[in-house]
Amino acid sequence: MSYVELIVFLEAAVRLGTPLALAALGETVTERSGVINIGLEGSIIAGALGGALGALAFESAGLGVASGALAGVAIAAVFAAFAIGLGVDQIITGTAVSIGGLGLTGAMYQARFGTTGAELSLPTLRSWGVPGLEQLPLIGSPLFDQAPTAYLAYALAPVLWWYLFRTRHGLSLRAVGESPDAARAAGVSVRLTRFGATVFGGLLAGIAGAHLALAHAGTFAEGMSAGRGFIAIAVVVLGRWNPLLVLAAALFFGAASAFQFFLQALGLDLPYQIILMVPYVLTLAALAGWVGRSRAPAALALNWDGDRG
Amino acid sequence: MTDPRVRLHGIHKRYGRVVALDDARLDVRAGEVHGVLGANGAGKSTLLSILGGMIRADAGGIEIDGRPVDLRSPKDAWANGVALVHQHFALVPALTAIENLALGRGTAASVRPAAVAVMERTGLTVPLDAMVSELSVGDRQRIEILKALLREPSVLVLDEPTAVLTPQEVERLFDLVRELASAGTSVVLVAHKLDEVLAISDRVTVLRNGRTVRTDDAASVASDDLVEAMVGSNEAIPISAPSPPDRTGNEPVLSVQGASLTVDGVTRLHEVSLDAWPGEVVGIAGVEGNGQRELAHLLVGLAHPSAGTVRAPTDVGFVPQDRIHEGLIGDFDVAENIALVLHRTDAFRLGSRVRWRDVGAEANRIIDAYGIVASSAKSPVAALSGGNQQRVVIGRETAVARELFVAENPTRGLDVSAAAFVRAQLIDMAESGVAVVVLSTDLDEIIELSTRIMVLSRGRLASVAPSERSREGIGALMLGGESA
Amino acid sequence: MSRRYGPILIGLAAVALTGAVGSVLLWLGGFDPLAAGAALIRGSVGSGRVFFSITLVRSVPLILTGLAVALAFRAGVWNIGAEGQLYVGAIAATWVGLSWAGLPPVVLIPLVLSSSVLAGAAWALLPAVMRSRFGVGEVITTILMNFVGIHFAAWMVHGPMQESRGVFPQSDAIGEAARLPALVPGSRLHLGFGIALVLAGALAWMLRHTAVGFRLRATGTAPEAARIAGRIDTHRTVLLAFLVSGGIAGLAGGVDVSGVTFALYENLSPGWGYTAIAVALLAGLHPWAVVLTGVFFGALQAGAGAMQRDAGIPAAWVGVVEALVILAVLGLDRVRRDREARR
Repeated sequence: MSYVELIVFLEAAVRLGTPLALAALGETVTERSGVINIGLEGSIIAGALGGALGALAFESAGLGVASGALAGVAIAAVFAAFAIGLGVDQIITGTAVSIGGLGLTGAMYQARFGTTGAELSLPTLRSWGVPGLEQLPLIGSPLFDQAPTAYLAYALAPVLWWYLFRTRHGLSLRAVGESPDAARAAGVSVRLTRFGATVFGGLLAGIAGAHLALAHAGTFAEGMSAGRGFIAIAVVVLGRWNPLLVLAAALFFGAASAFQFFLQALGLDLPYQIILMVPYVLTLAALAGWVGRSRAPAALALNWDGDRG
Repeated sequence: MTDPRVRLHGIHKRYGRVVALDDARLDVRAGEVHGVLGANGAGKSTLLSILGGMIRADAGGIEIDGRPVDLRSPKDAWANGVALVHQHFALVPALTAIENLALGRGTAASVRPAAVAVMERTGLTVPLDAMVSELSVGDRQRIEILKALLREPSVLVLDEPTAVLTPQEVERLFDLVRELASAGTSVVLVAHKLDEVLAISDRVTVLRNGRTVRTDDAASVASDDLVEAMVGSNEAIPISAPSPPDRTGNEPVLSVQGASLTVDGVTRLHEVSLDAWPGEVVGIAGVEGNGQRELAHLLVGLAHPSAGTVRAPTDVGFVPQDRIHEGLIGDFDVAENIALVLHRTDAFRLGSRVRWRDVGAEANRIIDAYGIVASSAKSPVAALSGGNQQRVVIGRETAVARELFVAENPTRGLDVSAAAFVRAQLIDMAESGVAVVVLSTDLDEIIELSTRIMVLSRGRLASVAPSERSREGIGALMLGGESA
Repeated sequence: MSRRYGPILIGLAAVALTGAVGSVLLWLGGFDPLAAGAALIRGSVGSGRVFFSITLVRSVPLILTGLAVALAFRAGVWNIGAEGQLYVGAIAATWVGLSWAGLPPVVLIPLVLSSSVLAGAAWALLPAVMRSRFGVGEVITTILMNFVGIHFAAWMVHGPMQESRGVFPQSDAIGEAARLPALVPGSRLHLGFGIALVLAGALAWMLRHTAVGFRLRATGTAPEAARIAGRIDTHRTVLLAFLVSGGIAGLAGGVDVSGVTFALYENLSPGWGYTAIAVALLAGLHPWAVVLTGVFFGALQAGAGAMQRDAGIPAAWVGVVEALVILAVLGLDRVRRDREARR
């Protein structure tokens, strides 16, 4: 395998890992507050459509990302209204929100662009080379000649780590996810915290979706989220609910998805569909091997009725 | 007379159909220790939670230093100088001690100096960087108290602080309470042990069925009067433990030899040995978290020893500690809950089918025999009162257990009459020839019921000699003393 | 009364609420809700032909996967993996159907269907073991297994099982002997509908009358109480429910191949395994009610085609309706519980 081929592989790994990293970092915060949002897929696809429509309307990729983020927030707010506001089952609500998000975006896209899906020509999110770092050997261009959303993911991982483990607010959020009764007794609003954490997760998932449409594909396609919301949830488990490890796990999954470039470089000719299976199989293996019985937040997926009585 | 520092008056609170408080009153003076007494379910915890801002009253008023206040949350209570130390649920096990102290106030780093200062001032020391899940019950309670003291309260509210402590630890806690009071802090303290409350309090208030029945100076009131005020005319029937059975020629129905149990790498039981003969009640005392649960599960076959042997009958009657989560299924009806036990026996099975008709008949028999107040065998068990739920458990377990019966804190959370019924049932069972093993954190219950007493401390089981059969003697063993 | 009929009332109210909210959304999107409704009805129950040959045919995989999900949820198993289990069931059925094409139908059809059951159960085994052995939640693993299963089927039709002509990504067609006979002569409704009905009855009976059904309900409702008070081996019960659920979902794939498509295709399922969650929930997880809600969603999917043709409403709209139904059931059930608690 040549140097250039290795660079291509690494570059693809980071490019494919970025949307997962964004969505998974948001979900890390959500899950740390005790909420599992399986509706992430809905936020991502809404972010993709919102990003595409926004970029088209404002003729700006940046404003497209902002629209995508808002669309992600809107879907997450529906989830939060049911799962946190009404206190109904998180997993079923999340599944419904994913199905609904995929259906709604598909219907909106078809209504606007027809069933065939007229080619969208979108202002795309171009990659920005970071002067200096870009020239580093091997990792320079894979890591530092990427879309700005990738840099957002790099920056968020340490910031979120610091937020969760070093700030007063982060401490409250973790307490809500571990033991909502205790957090409530300490004066923390359980519902507000969970709502905020869920909406934040939706925001990042929306940006991840916008990245897919504007930086990755350059267009919108029905179902283009392709299960990334579900994979992001696996990535959170893989990263043991720690933002730094979650970023690493997302890049690992990105590398697994970029495996085709690696195999092609090695001259191996595996069927394309088998290559598509690789990331999922590797993730399952990693979950079984490495996660073991590592602890999820104790109150994850459990609804809290503390202030209903 | 001085104005009280805290005055609660005309407090009402109901949960659905259950009236928890009905015209409850409480006034607390500056610098006094005020005991709140009452049977289980009298409304003590609810009243204090209202004072701590955890629960809002449906009606009534709260005054602090003569001003009416509205305590909508714990924050409001703290702002008014009231800090509540909870009986349950107030620590996060997955966080460290210092993180728990910092929760809602700041960060671990910012709160540490203040925490260290309070620890030095009060002598309450805890390992600040240890995970709470790894700390003892006593340490956890010290963290709770530190948490409250960090708020520099003028009123400190302690809800059942002694329930999980050994008699010696209780003494140390009471020393601290006296110190705080002499420094001007008002301390409100709930306990259901009369003697403890009288020993520490300046004044006592008695609640019964959600209503304040009297407030007295602790020094001048007769304890008999207080007991009557607590339980009303419905006096508990005194019972006595079964006498030691004749063991000659009899085999023990339960024989545990040198059994150890290791869970997730932690040894919970160390070489425990225990026999039980038909007709006796073996009482096992101990502070929570010293291996009671593990021992009970070993006896009934829910756990298997990592070393040593357990020989027990196949169907052991079992009253688990947590009725709601371990003993019953709230959404299931009475008959289905009884079927949890009956479906295992051939008498109620036809091949792979459950004979639901026979289960229903048996359920009706149990409802009658145990005086269970339920509209029918088809009503969901969640709709029954705690006492009736416990009757369902005991009734169905007795239906299969002919030789051995194990009960873990069987009267916890029951009102006085329900608790008396449960105790009488256990003694009846022993007298009919069943071996009964009771594990309880309630020393008085153990002393009242048991033919023979043992103490479980840090996973080791020790016998209590008849000469040590007193609160003090057993308390010494509970602290981990040598067996006599 | 309310305990018995509550789920039915909630189901009806949820359908009504979905109709109302869905109409408003359509109206906001610039469509005519009345025309949409008319097209929906025409396309699903407008004639005997559409009802038997389209609506009921489409309901078969929905009823089967709905039963799979209902059984799993009853046992406290979050099997979101019916989709993947369905695909491997379809692969196994196609493979057996093609490999033993010479056998007579009475032998071949049971063989084809049981192979799909076994394949579905096998696909559920890994998540089941990961839950009990490694403590990894089945929600994530079953979803991951869906992707593996879908890609696995895609590989099959592009590679080892591709039709002999080698043109399209699909398998050869299975022979007549492996195809399910028609249930209603002259319609496309096949024996699979009958199988679904029998299975619903069997599961209802099992849950209600047998010890294993009781253990399963107890484990799903309150695992700690089931283990401690009932001395139920909850691990075994969970494993059993997981495997049976996977097997039923696999059967849905086998029945679709031998009853409708007669060959393995990429994108065989339009997400039946996920719609199954709505089917099961709307039915209150009761097997008999799953038959009704399965037909309801079958009608919805049948009518979606007509809505697109006649009223120009995108077929993807069905996903929105499914989500609305699930949310309405959850919300209404919550409101009912709150009101009962307050009483």
